[in-house]
Amino acid sequence: MRTFRDLVGVAFTGLMARKMRTLLLLLGPVIGVAAIIAAVGLTDSAKGDLKQKVDELGTNLIEASASSSFGSAEPTLPEDAVERAYTVVSVEKVSAVRELSNITVTPYSEASEQFETVPIPVIATDADLPSVLEVDLVSGRWIDPFDENSLSRTAVVGSGLAREFEMLPGELRVIELSGIEYAVVGILGRVELEPGFDNAVFVPFGSAAEDFADVDPGEMLEANKLYVRSVEGRESETADALRAAVNLGGPQEITTEIKSEALELAAQSDRQLQLIVVSMGLLAIIVGGLGIANVMSISVIQRSAEIGIRRALGHTRRIIASQFLLEAMVVGVLGGILGVLVGMLAIFVGVSIAGWVFVMATWLAPAGIVLAVAISVLAGLYPAVRAARLEPLETLRLG
Amino acid sequence: MEPDLDSSSASGTFAGNDPSIDTNNDTSINTTNDTTNGTTNDTVAPFMELRSVSRSYGSGDAMVWALRDVSLSIMPGDFASIVGPSGSGKSTMLGLLGCLDVPTEGSILVEGDDVSSMADAARTRVRGRSIGFVFQQFHLIPHLDAVTNVETALLYRSLGPNERHSQALEALEMVGLGHRHDHRPVQLSGGEQQRVALARALVTGPRILLADEPTGALDSRNAEMVMEIFAGLRSQERAIVIVTHDPGVAASADRRISMRDGRIVSDERTRP
Repeated sequence: MRTFRDLVGVAFTGLMARKMRTLLLLLGPVIGVAAIIAAVGLTDSAKGDLKQKVDELGTNLIEASASSSFGSAEPTLPEDAVERAYTVVSVEKVSAVRELSNITVTPYSEASEQFETVPIPVIATDADLPSVLEVDLVSGRWIDPFDENSLSRTAVVGSGLAREFEMLPGELRVIELSGIEYAVVGILGRVELEPGFDNAVFVPFGSAAEDFADVDPGEMLEANKLYVRSVEGRESETADALRAAVNLGGPQEITTEIKSEALELAAQSDRQLQLIVVSMGLLAIIVGGLGIANVMSISVIQRSAEIGIRRALGHTRRIIASQFLLEAMVVGVLGGILGVLVGMLAIFVGVSIAGWVFVMATWLAPAGIVLAVAISVLAGLYPAVRAARLEPLETLRLG
Repeated sequence: MEPDLDSSSASGTFAGNDPSIDTNNDTSINTTNDTTNGTTNDTVAPFMELRSVSRSYGSGDAMVWALRDVSLSIMPGDFASIVGPSGSGKSTMLGLLGCLDVPTEGSILVEGDDVSSMADAARTRVRGRSIGFVFQQFHLIPHLDAVTNVETALLYRSLGPNERHSQALEALEMVGLGHRHDHRPVQLSGGEQQRVALARALVTGPRILLADEPTGALDSRNAEMVMEIFAGLRSQERAIVIVTHDPGVAASADRRISMRDGRIVSDERTRP
């Protein structure tokens, strides 16, 4: 232990005593590591905003829509679709919706003529939709089970529509859906994964069935779409299982879509570009390693008298070799740390100029330092062995 | 013979394993301190013993014998000079005495251990333990200051940095350079550099202080000062061996070993 501490001390003194040479030694690992860190970091950061969005939204939202190969105009899911979905073990949350058609939405009755031509989607929904989408309300509240059971005419509007209708948060407003007045009880925040919801009106299933659908009184309006949150990482198997579970025993057909897939695809870094720049960084660090081997070999020759005297003073060949190896290792550690810092600075500058989001994988810094140390030690091996092989009798020029 | 210490020996102790280094006056030749133990005795074990040592270089037709059948004992308290013209085998002798080389034939014992059959690492440790070197060209490590140069000899010996530093400073004080401990070799005169080298050789408390032409690179004033230090270092605790071709240097020693053509031609005590 004390021997190791002595060795480290000697290595540091040796490096500090020849600052210019040490600086030259450091250049290789610094440039190499910085290049690799910057290459990976910048290519990642270029897609940083998208990556961040994927992280925020989660990748586990599945949309299951009713579809019909028979071409029925309005395919629907079975009445108990939600219960069936919950039979899939990897399903965490389910919400059902029914997209209603041919409903004119107007902020007040006098405006009906202006808004008739603007199609505003009206969606019948259950109480769970915001929690499945993981979206908060901008103001007010969401449709609750009471609304559902009491057939109250309550509505929630998307934030885009609220802006268009110039609604103020907390303002008591009424909108007309095909002439029927609904009380607006809340405004839904932006739904990144379902941008259409921004301009939609949400109503409870119960009143929607009463007012807009031709179902028999007492019967439920069937949903045509489910939103499902699965266990993270098991999206595709959940989607497959959903299709089977919901379809069980009925003619209904269903298609599933993992909502974040497109976004994730867009957020993927350019791997080929990354590979090219990382290869260049590797090349730089290998050249740097050759530089270390070269400078240290020269240094062994220059310091042959010093090595001779150390050998005469009782330092073994092993100690001499360790001393040179340790110098190389210190260069690797310092060069690696400096390289990581320079690389991070490069990412930061690039990100600031391009307006990206700073992304740096956590493994990059340790990997960079380990690489620098490995290359440096490898480069120091040959000079260290040469130093150890020197015969003190020859270098001391006795007599 | 009774193992009496030299009469004027004083207190300077360092390096733990070697007490009693004369620090009372490092600039005056003390000619009286050796009178009681000028002769060797069979009951005293030599610090180093060369038994029928030969050393050749090259092989076949090109083989040259640099040393032929040399036997020699370095005794405690010895202050010996090895003299001879160039080519007489002095340098070869120095390499062998310093355990930097091994004999082709014969054996070398350092404090009873046969170094001629030792592996390099073991021989290196014997060197570190038993031998202190002083060279003609000083051979200080240029990028280290005086005290760190002295400390170099104490590395890898399980000493703490503070311990090492204080022992090195103590050794520098002994050669009268305590005040210049933070100077680098280039900032020191030749004489001062050689004194730093002496401190480095002494700091480990070696049994044998081996000097190779220690005054060869010095002017006469500095040479005299260095030789006075050597003379003051005479002690039953160590032996001093100086290889030189300078008759003046040889004259200050108590024992004179003359070499010629790879053989010892005379080995005489000039002082009892």
